[in-house]
Amino acid sequence: MPEQTAVPTGAPPDAATGAGGSGDDAAPRTLGGLTAAVRPKVIAASVLAGFAGLASLVPFAAVYLLAVALSEAEPDRGTVWTVVAVTIAAVVVRFLCHGAAVSLSHAADMDLQLRLRRSMAERLARAPLGWLSERGAGRLKSTLQDDVEDMHYLVAHALPDFVVAVSTPLAAAVYLAFVDWRLTLVCLAGIPCYLVGYRVMMRVAGARMGAIGAAMGRLNSAVVEFVQGIAVVKAFGQTQRAHSRFAAAADDYLETFSAVNRPILRVQSVSTGILSPAATLLVVALGGTVFVSQGWMPAIDVVPFLTLGLGLTSPVLAVGLAGNSLRSARQAAGRVGELLSVAPLPEPAEPKSPRGHRVELRGVTFGYDADAPVLHDVNMVLEEGTVTALVGPSGAGKSTLAGLLPRFADPQRGQVLLGGTDVRDIAAGELYRHIGFVLQDARFLRASVADNLRLASPHATDADIAGVIRAVGLHERIAALPRGLDSVIGEDALLSGGEAQRLSIARALLADTPVLVLDEATAYADPESEAVVQRALSRLVAGRTVLVIAHRLGSIVGADTIVVLDEGRIVEQGRHEALVAAGGLYASMWRTYQRHTEAAGGRAAIRAGDERHDGLDGQRDGRNEQIGVTR
Amino acid sequence: MIRQLFHVAGPALRRRLAVQLAVLLGYSVLQGVAFVLVVPVLRRLLAGDTDGVWPWAGALAGVALATAVAYYAQQMLAFQVALAASHRLYHRIGDHVSALPLGWFSGEQVGRLGQLASRGVPQVRSLLAHLLQPLCTAVVTPLTVVVAMAFLDWRLALATALGAPLMYLTYRWAVSTVARADEAVDTAAAEANERVVEFVRAQSVLRSTGSGERGRALLESALREQDAAGRRQSAAMAPGRTAFIAVVHLAVAAVVVVGAVLGLGGTVGVAELVALLVLVVRFSEPVSGMAELGGSLRSARNALARIDAVLAARPLPEPARPGPPPADASLELRDVRFAYEPGARPVLDGVSLRLPDRTTTAVVGPSGSGKTTLIRVLARFWDVDEGAVLLGGTDVRDIPADALMDHFSLVFQDVYLFDASIRENVRLGRPGATDAEVEEAARLARVDEIVARLPQGWDTPVGEGGTALSGGERQRVSLARALLKDAPVMLLDEATSSLDPANEAAIQQTLDALSGRRTLVVVAHRLQTVVGADRIVVLEEGRVAETGTHAELLARGGRYAEFWRERSRAQGWRLTPEPSVPVEAAP
Repeated sequence: MPEQTAVPTGAPPDAATGAGGSGDDAAPRTLGGLTAAVRPKVIAASVLAGFAGLASLVPFAAVYLLAVALSEAEPDRGTVWTVVAVTIAAVVVRFLCHGAAVSLSHAADMDLQLRLRRSMAERLARAPLGWLSERGAGRLKSTLQDDVEDMHYLVAHALPDFVVAVSTPLAAAVYLAFVDWRLTLVCLAGIPCYLVGYRVMMRVAGARMGAIGAAMGRLNSAVVEFVQGIAVVKAFGQTQRAHSRFAAAADDYLETFSAVNRPILRVQSVSTGILSPAATLLVVALGGTVFVSQGWMPAIDVVPFLTLGLGLTSPVLAVGLAGNSLRSARQAAGRVGELLSVAPLPEPAEPKSPRGHRVELRGVTFGYDADAPVLHDVNMVLEEGTVTALVGPSGAGKSTLAGLLPRFADPQRGQVLLGGTDVRDIAAGELYRHIGFVLQDARFLRASVADNLRLASPHATDADIAGVIRAVGLHERIAALPRGLDSVIGEDALLSGGEAQRLSIARALLADTPVLVLDEATAYADPESEAVVQRALSRLVAGRTVLVIAHRLGSIVGADTIVVLDEGRIVEQGRHEALVAAGGLYASMWRTYQRHTEAAGGRAAIRAGDERHDGLDGQRDGRNEQIGVTR
Repeated sequence: MIRQLFHVAGPALRRRLAVQLAVLLGYSVLQGVAFVLVVPVLRRLLAGDTDGVWPWAGALAGVALATAVAYYAQQMLAFQVALAASHRLYHRIGDHVSALPLGWFSGEQVGRLGQLASRGVPQVRSLLAHLLQPLCTAVVTPLTVVVAMAFLDWRLALATALGAPLMYLTYRWAVSTVARADEAVDTAAAEANERVVEFVRAQSVLRSTGSGERGRALLESALREQDAAGRRQSAAMAPGRTAFIAVVHLAVAAVVVVGAVLGLGGTVGVAELVALLVLVVRFSEPVSGMAELGGSLRSARNALARIDAVLAARPLPEPARPGPPPADASLELRDVRFAYEPGARPVLDGVSLRLPDRTTTAVVGPSGSGKTTLIRVLARFWDVDEGAVLLGGTDVRDIPADALMDHFSLVFQDVYLFDASIRENVRLGRPGATDAEVEEAARLARVDEIVARLPQGWDTPVGEGGTALSGGERQRVSLARALLKDAPVMLLDEATSSLDPANEAAIQQTLDALSGRRTLVVVAHRLQTVVGADRIVVLEEGRVAETGTHAELLARGGRYAEFWRERSRAQGWRLTPEPSVPVEAAP
């Protein structure tokens, strides 16, 4: 089946929501729950915005009253100044209410941003590692940072704007109806037309917005590919080709964007035109002239329609024009909600403690994609205090298997037991006191060397730290750094691959866990440090239950047990001599390995012989030493 | 800002943008005229002259229609110009970046460029499509009315116009107060971004050490800082925005008062007063709304500046008159000095080497000694600061960039694969290659073994950046790509470091077969690769410490001999607990 390849590209969002749906009823920090916390502020802001909206109508009505008063043959000063005073008061009220509403809603937005980001960080810390690596740090960053920011309109504006858009025209319409209900109806005729247009627009937009998102996604990956792969394409003289992929993605995005938005924009432009100030002025002028000439109303009563008629429509327009922001805010909220609903690895309800440090895998079947298992029915035992080596061709599932011990993922079937207890029944905090891990690419936080070491054991003394640093031969290097142990990794402590590797071994030494997993711990060592790394490892494994993955078979011939993994199944296990004698997969891997290492010495010897140089002896010594060790 | 926009988008767009601006201006003026027409309509209506209204109402109808048409035209034009500008920007950035030297592409640049395409260009688009119109209308329409009003009643016009300079000054001040707060927000956001990425990537370590909480503390403090910067920005913006809105409202109040005074004096017509008051009240909102537009304007301006900065990066100079084509595939470095930054410690400090045609050279040395840089200046990732790099006797700076790359096949330490099938990734080495040639190259690099194992075989997608394959598998695919290109010079930088012994042995055979046929330069620390080289160059702190064959160097008993002993010992190492060392034994 072609689906069996685990290709973690562009996983459909439902894959994650599907996983998130299971066993996560008690999730306290859903998107809804978090928004509820800031709701009082948003509601207060909306109420204030509503007041501001109503106050903004007062000057319009005042113009009418002023016109009435001034039209009198002998205008009454008192009335005129009262109207002026009320107008100014209304302006002040509007200014204050509006300001308070904006402050409140923006404060609510900031509260929510922090809450959301914190909750998401907390989720990330408990989500299955497989899910994290499938998503990728870049996309998760974008949700945590950009999407939360994009929700701004939804949180800070949507409700207050809506309240204003409804309450202000309603109040204006009521006032106008008292002046003349027939002309009011004429003025309002535009709104239904606009709403119909708006609905059409939203329907069209909603159905096709996904296409834009997808095209943007393609553009983003084309950019990443273009930029990160540029060294490769330039080296192969293929710049034009990669560039054209990027250009094509950009064009495709713009075309999709244009195809979706152009018709929407047409409808929007026309329906906005219907409610535009010029159109409203025209309707009032025409309607008013007809009404006055027919004697249905006094001429002065046209004035409030000229003023408030405009007030009827502008908030409606404001909401309509915000449609884009609202849509992208909703999509962003969807992604945030999705991240928040990821099911964490379940914590045991009644944690148990392991008895001893014997590790056992019982009938373990596991795949990052449940339909495509990487490990099939694996049974193995790591006896307490022994070294077990895991070998096999690349792609056999070695790292995946090792990752099950520290619970990077849980198996779909079977159990991983530590000291007779299922690791799922051990509290996370306790599990890590028993199982340590040295990975092939050592990762550090941008924090001081000491803090990075203390990650594993927060209460380690300075003497403890100095001890482990010396044990991995880094004491001189660290002492030479500008701030010694307080130098920040990635800033003033720039470590080579081998140094980073040794530091991660130092971390494991400090953590001092009885069970240890070493995944290709020497793979990235530099030539000058490999020997030191090796010595550090030898110290590290003493007295522990160890699972070691190594490419170089020579390094693990002394292991108590060698387990041979092939295509996710254990095909052989035993001691080195027995496996070599058995003549199976291990024996053939061993033969290849030996040929390869001998070839190095052999080729050197031949070359040296050709050149009849007296380096020959030294060379032979080197070779003998090597073979002597590997056998 | 418009000037910057022209500059970034190029002259082709200038005309279209000019048309858009003209139509937008027309729309704003027409809208103002519609407001002004209220005066004659209302004057006749209030005078009881309903018949006299009709011609003016007709004029209003015409202007309203023209306004609607102008609005529609300006919306569609803005949309088109915005799209065309995005198109131009994407292509200009793409064209420009392709011409930049390989050395330009640091991790930081890559991140910045990604950000530009996904957020910067849309911000510029939104500036053109959504921001120009409200901005222009908020200024031009009231201005039109004020000018027209000057003919009807100069006192009212003056009262209105007096507010304008005050508003402008307040606006400028308001904008300037937030600039610094903006910068703090950007910095805090960048820090938080980085912490999120770090937090996700370090999850395996954090969990395996049970230190998720402490790891999160770093992210938490970055989030707090971001939050605080955001609040500081709000606080910094508040006075400016408040003052601006207050000034707008004050202007409204002033006009109302002046209107009342003039009205009471009986020296102004009610129609004029009403029309002007309607206008003033009506436009106080969009004008004060300009304060809210400030943020979007600023980010659009920043995006333009960032795009401009990328476009300002200079590509390596192309030779004005190309030198003679390289005579063969020999390489020479003549007293080469190179530093990544002017004034920084030189990474190559006076390196002179001759690598004859079709020989194999191994480069060894401690990390940081300049091995990778050496390989990269050979292929002109950067130009050297002093000295020269020659290919077949011709200075690489005298060979056009495309022609130069034809001579090199490169395999990097950090392999990048494209999100395409394995076959397509291999074929990238030579797009014209037949299937048989692709398969042969794949066989030589042991990619056939990967293909056989995968259900979709050759057509298996490798994922973004090749993430669906393991490190060793990616290296094999990239080797196959380089073998397929089959250029005269092959540069290998730790190209087999992630391979398991079985594959490494097979690939070693392939490389052995190439020796004597191609010029090979290999950075490696595995003995198997180094020993067979025609010549070994030992680098130390950017200088050549030793050079010679394996046997010569071993005999000399210097740096290389030491390296060899260390390596031999390391290779024979076996993992055995070391109880002799007094590390406190586990319980």
